[in-house]
Amino acid sequence: MSSWFGLLARLITGGVWLVAGALKFADPAGAVRAVRAYELLPESVVPLVGHALPAVEMVIGLALILGIFTRWAAVLSGLLFLAFIIGIASAWSRGLQIDCGCFGGGGFDAKATDKYPWEIARDVALLALSLFLVLRPRSALSLDGFLNLQGPAGPATEGRSTRAQSVQP
Amino acid sequence: MATRNPSKSERAAALLAEQERGERRRRLAVILGVVAVLALIAGLTWYAMSKDTSGQTTDAVPGNVKDYSVTVGDANAPTELTFYEDPQCPVCAQFEAAVGAQLKTAVDAGKVKVSYRMVSFLDKASANEYSSRAANAAYAVADQVGADGFYAFHELLYANQPAEGTAGPENAQLIDWAVQAGADKAKISPLINDKTFEQYVVNATDAMSKNNVTGTPTVFINGKKVDGGPQDAVNAVLEVIK
Repeated sequence: MSSWFGLLARLITGGVWLVAGALKFADPAGAVRAVRAYELLPESVVPLVGHALPAVEMVIGLALILGIFTRWAAVLSGLLFLAFIIGIASAWSRGLQIDCGCFGGGGFDAKATDKYPWEIARDVALLALSLFLVLRPRSALSLDGFLNLQGPAGPATEGRSTRAQSVQP
Repeated sequence: MATRNPSKSERAAALLAEQERGERRRRLAVILGVVAVLALIAGLTWYAMSKDTSGQTTDAVPGNVKDYSVTVGDANAPTELTFYEDPQCPVCAQFEAAVGAQLKTAVDAGKVKVSYRMVSFLDKASANEYSSRAANAAYAVADQVGADGFYAFHELLYANQPAEGTAGPENAQLIDWAVQAGADKAKISPLINDKTFEQYVVNATDAMSKNNVTGTPTVFINGKKVDGGPQDAVNAVLEVIK
């Protein structure tokens, strides 16, 4: 049962990443401006983050949808959602009125203050789904399962301890 | 007891060997996977970098423009207003409709000068890249006719702004407006058709972002940014020129 919920969690989080990354990827200059609008990172790294973030998002999304390296993709997914929650909360607390730029776009938004709580709530929900996948990376219809990348039993990183138990005489 | 023990340890050893093989296979798959993922991210990032020309130097710099600004009005006017505007931005058109006529009177009276900083990030809201074509055309008119011609052309742009998501006026229409604003048709046409100041417009937009301006219209009064929403910008400008 939980493996089907895992599949759902993968498709939702992965789908969001893939779409969000692709929309940003289509406008690299806009992605850089959206990062800069948060006024959080030093200018020396703003362009690199703006160019690399859409790529990272698309790759995480692809990995989650296919269910390959699910646990690691979910770890990165959770960390990114955490970073975005912090970024949006920080922009909100500093009185910045910006579109989060989550799905492309970005920059000034007169209604930003009304949207911040919803954007944070959405990211918290996606963070929770990511955490579920970190704890229970085995899910239905995954490449991890198909290619038997997860070890004899239990999640991949528990493979070692599981093996140690199974060879005890 | 003694005969069972070896077979038990043999079974364990066989199981262990098989698991070691599985473990090695998984480790190899993980290493290959990590390499593939890093290569994919690096490739996509490189592609995004190569597509983004922001900040690249260009020789095609329009005349009568300083620091991405076209300044209209008396150079000695006591107050300088600076407007960041995208030709496709509906709020800019509303802003221009709200302040345009009174502002023109104030400019003509020498009360204020206005520095227009035309930027373009709304091609995504146009079916035919109207935003960047119109911004390029505005700089072209400044280059060919000067600030007054730009002012007239700018007014025509906002009076005829296309709706978001539709196809905006074609280059031929932009050329017609440029001629109305005083440009020579034979000279302005290639500047508009070849999008001569395209990179300049990209850099103007990049400079806007680096000046912590996140949207349009954004108004500065004597170098001080007007905070708040669009209505605050209208009110602040009307207050200055009343």
